[in-house]
Amino acid sequence: MRGRSGARRVSRALLITLILVWSAFPIYWALNTSFTTLNGAQSVPAHFVPSPFTAQNYKTLLNSSGGVGNQFWRSFLNATIESGLATVLTVVIALFAAYAFARLEFRGKRIILVAVLATLLLPVYATLIPLYRIMSSVHLVNTYPGIILVYTSGFLPLAIWIMYNYFASVPRELEEAAFVDGATPVVALWRVMIPVSLPGIAATAIIVFLMGWAQFIFPLVLSSDLTTQPVTVVVAALYGQRIVPFTLLNAVGVLAAALPGVIALVLNRYIVQGVMAGSIK
Amino acid sequence: MSGERTPTGRKRPRKRGRFLPYILLSPLVLFIGALALYPTILTTVQAFFTVNPMDPPTRFSGLANFRALFHNSFVRQSAANTALYIVVGVGLSTLFGLGIALVLQRRSRWRGVVLALVVLPWALPAVVESVIWGWIYDPTFGVLNSVLKSLGLINSDHVWIGIGRIVSIVLIELVQVWQITPLAALLILAALQSIPQELYEAARVDGAGRWEMFRRVTLPLVRPGLAVAMVESLILSLNVFDQVYVLNGFAPGGASIMMQTYQISFNNLNFGQGYALSLLATFATMLLSLLILAVVYRRVEF
Repeated sequence: MRGRSGARRVSRALLITLILVWSAFPIYWALNTSFTTLNGAQSVPAHFVPSPFTAQNYKTLLNSSGGVGNQFWRSFLNATIESGLATVLTVVIALFAAYAFARLEFRGKRIILVAVLATLLLPVYATLIPLYRIMSSVHLVNTYPGIILVYTSGFLPLAIWIMYNYFASVPRELEEAAFVDGATPVVALWRVMIPVSLPGIAATAIIVFLMGWAQFIFPLVLSSDLTTQPVTVVVAALYGQRIVPFTLLNAVGVLAAALPGVIALVLNRYIVQGVMAGSIK
Repeated sequence: MSGERTPTGRKRPRKRGRFLPYILLSPLVLFIGALALYPTILTTVQAFFTVNPMDPPTRFSGLANFRALFHNSFVRQSAANTALYIVVGVGLSTLFGLGIALVLQRRSRWRGVVLALVVLPWALPAVVESVIWGWIYDPTFGVLNSVLKSLGLINSDHVWIGIGRIVSIVLIELVQVWQITPLAALLILAALQSIPQELYEAARVDGAGRWEMFRRVTLPLVRPGLAVAMVESLILSLNVFDQVYVLNGFAPGGASIMMQTYQISFNNLNFGQGYALSLLATFATMLLSLLILAVVYRRVEF
């Protein structure tokens, strides 16, 4: 009996190791490549720790005025502005709407909710070309507002779904005390609902921000130059040129992944909660 | 102001209350209406029009766009490629997701750390991940060839992407599987955790072994979670673009339907055909989602 449970523990530890290697090895490999010289990265057989170790690739990216560093940091700024503002807009709009769906009674509620959630099922195909043509007809191609509006419209259904589920799980008694004191629904939302729902709001904001940071096909279509191109578009272009050395390219990749990576590791709890809250209903 | 003077008194607040939901919803309705529903209608209608800035004006052309697509061998090939992307993507992400969820189902000291690392690939941009994997697959200096050579599995460097069609597609899709497996794992884990512990205990009392318990208790009750995870994976792999764009460009040997739609619309400016292909892909998404739900989903009551 004892031997059997020991074997079970070993096999479980092996499985967990396998899962960790599968999840983390490619990221480790990019780090490993980014901290060595081109010769070090091209050694056969491969070195599994950086040898020789150097931070030169990161120095190049930080110092170079003009060239790869310049392109990268500008696109980093663009991505931060675009996904940051889209996140704020999405969360604010979703807060009001999710509250109305979860707590207020009005005509047409079901049909509006169903219509909004149905757009969750629309693939990128359904909207890509028309959104480009609409944005181009109102002269918002290659502008921040154009990209932010498109992102927001794409992220809203998921944000509503996560927040609606969260609000619906908050006991009504909490607000009733406020209503007895003569509060309006807006005051109840501000004073009661938002404070108790902060974890759900954080989960929504984090998931939306990560989705914004990862966008590629929409900015590929909507951004024509560095004034608005986010980091994904620039990284793909640098890779496609086949001129930038692989060590430098991996450093670019590591920096482009650093912000979402740190968010995912530090705020992991909220992401897991958010995904699970929106999952099975 | 006038509301306060009416004999019934509390008319004003009630009236404001009646419109409040619509005020709260108006930004949402505006966004979804103008930038999701209207574009979808546009795609559906203009699929039957010739829409091409090089060939104005925009005019009704019946099924001409669809006929042109069916006669285009690149489109047919990209449809076949996408079918393979879907099979590999849905199959592997569900399998790996179920495995990870089963391992993580047991609470332990390490669970939080493991969960954080498992979720990581899902949080990173697909473009960056494709660049990272492109370096792993690199024919001359990639670690994949290096490891396989050390193990004696291959003698000389192997070019992975761009030569064999099936190998290219499987390896490109593996990059997407790496990204979307965490989502499948979380969705399946949520379903696993909703299974009441008593059911396992009852099965144990009946003398069921581990495999028997998995087959009789876990598998039937996890089906809603599996179905949701598979539909998610289906939608993502039917839309595969970033990984293909970075790793293989527009080469017909790996191009997906999304790549073809992009090329027809934004390189050839044949928007009408782009709309038609988009409409077909949207229908395919819906039909395959319903198929998965019909086969896998079962309503579960505890």
